[in-house]
Amino acid sequence: MPYHEFECSTCIPERKSHAVLKGEEDDLTTCLPEGHLATIPGTISERGCAYCGAKHVIGTPMKDAIHMSHGPVGCTYDTWQTKRYISDNDNFQLKYTHATDMKETHVVFGGMDLLKKNMIEAFKAHPNINRMTVYQTCASALIGDDMEAMAREVMKELPGTDIFVCNAPGFGGPSQSGGHHKINISWINEKVGTVEPKITSDYVINYVGDYNIQGDCEVMCDFFKRMGIQVLSTFTGNGSYDELRGMHRAHLNVLECARSAEYICNELRVKYGIPRLDIDGFGFGPLSESLMKVARFFGLEDRAQAIIDEEVARWKPELEWYKKRLTGVKVCLWPGGSKLWHWANAIHEEMGVEVVSLYTKFGHQGDMEKGIARAEVGTLAIDDPNELEGLEAMRMMKPDVIFTGVRPGEVAKKQRIQYLNAHAYHNGPYKGFEGWVRFARDIYNAHYSPIHQLSGIDISKDDFRIDKGFMTRQMISDVKLTPEEAHVEGETPYTGEFDCVTHLRTKTYPSDLARSTTAQAV
Amino acid sequence: MNEETIRARIAPLEDYIMKHCLWQFHSREWDRVRQNEGILSKAKQLLCEEPVAKETPEDRCYWVDALALTEAFKKRFAWLEEMDKKSIEVLMQALKERIDFVTITGSLNKELTSPRY
Repeated sequence: MPYHEFECSTCIPERKSHAVLKGEEDDLTTCLPEGHLATIPGTISERGCAYCGAKHVIGTPMKDAIHMSHGPVGCTYDTWQTKRYISDNDNFQLKYTHATDMKETHVVFGGMDLLKKNMIEAFKAHPNINRMTVYQTCASALIGDDMEAMAREVMKELPGTDIFVCNAPGFGGPSQSGGHHKINISWINEKVGTVEPKITSDYVINYVGDYNIQGDCEVMCDFFKRMGIQVLSTFTGNGSYDELRGMHRAHLNVLECARSAEYICNELRVKYGIPRLDIDGFGFGPLSESLMKVARFFGLEDRAQAIIDEEVARWKPELEWYKKRLTGVKVCLWPGGSKLWHWANAIHEEMGVEVVSLYTKFGHQGDMEKGIARAEVGTLAIDDPNELEGLEAMRMMKPDVIFTGVRPGEVAKKQRIQYLNAHAYHNGPYKGFEGWVRFARDIYNAHYSPIHQLSGIDISKDDFRIDKGFMTRQMISDVKLTPEEAHVEGETPYTGEFDCVTHLRTKTYPSDLARSTTAQAV
Repeated sequence: MNEETIRARIAPLEDYIMKHCLWQFHSREWDRVRQNEGILSKAKQLLCEEPVAKETPEDRCYWVDALALTEAFKKRFAWLEEMDKKSIEVLMQALKERIDFVTITGSLNKELTSPRY
């Protein structure tokens, strides 16, 4: 096994089996790190907890519910200052966060009355919202507060309300992944099948495992709607509580992030016979194939092809402009889970960048299988790294840009390495054809930003010229291109709008597309 | 087709599947067995121009993945067009055995046999 032992972690020998360096002869039967295990004592890793995985990743993107944490107020840290799962109802779920503010006295004497009081207060504060999700935290789980009983009492006292209880306290899993699992299973067991949805098309899907980061989900739903497909529910980006209760009536589950949401697709397959189709919404090639696969399931190939042709013609020249300038740029792909495999090959093939390292904070071995399979020889793959290992990996692999979260991103900046936010994005959405160009634009801006040169100058010590300005992005990026390569008719940097999502919310779609004219529809 | 030729031709097919597909990586062994069989058997039928069942939602789901795969194979590997049906059958059987090995029987993924999802 081509394990890689970090010098900084020789005092934690168990860490050795959590990193591999993919060699020339390696495949998945010889090269796979450990994964989804409890963090080793002594290593300070960057994971979130199971509560975070349940609430902050999957529950809270639901747009029309009050989201309540039963625990200390600090557990609600991740709200609109750190998350970017927007919605088309003025971001209600981001603007308002609720906690019962549990204190020592509640730990001693119980917090159930406090929970009930908070639930009623929250419903009264938002008279137009009658749906609520409530989350267990470590503190309330340890004292055994019966949240289901309180939810039943409140629903009885406030007719017309509906409350979902999620028991995924922070300690309930090695990482946020434990919470993903718990909320998936709780939702299908407690809520799916409790509402009969209105079916408006002969072609009906659930779009699962997309959290509408800066509008990703809305971009994808636009493609489906243009084909006449009804998106019955989105799990859970821009998702509606009651629509998600009707997931059982879809014909197909289209799954994007298998790490966080495969569980509900698997259960829907077993309980209701709805098949699961895994897709890739990132990259021109993978997205085109994905749209075609969904279309073919319903016999709508012509509609998918028309969309693909239109989008590729509009955006491919701009992607090519960036590809020429990004070819050979070295990146570390260090996201939380699924993006390591969604992006590993697509950014290499379509933007020319070299992925020199992969890591995952909460991925399972299955995610590493996908990531390593898609990575090139020489890639360093790390499971659940600590900060020192991240620093050592940066010194070893010498990347130009890191794609990661805010916290490790700030560490990278201190090493004078640019970083892009892989979770919440910089200037997304990154899904869709236009989104992929926006991603290329952000990588280009990160790598060639003038600040990169300027940040290396210590004005208190270094000798620097004051009669000369700095070099602009294009002055640096175009040096390696011939004039013929640099100036191709039609190829330009990104020409889209700052906001490419809001206009989709008022778009209308021809209703006749929703009805089958042949017997092919399922 | 001798073994050496089969090995040489399987390698790029395997590489394509590993870099571009997701269906072979479901989380549990039983599911991977089902996925590999469902999709690769339909891919073989498509390449050999045999009838393909797609009446049930499950079969239809396998078929869309199989069709995407065979289209990519034909586009990238011109030598497939020159092969007769018998040779394609042999090649696809060997490919399935290889994918089963990499993703199931030879896999290092310890979660494959977990009784829970």
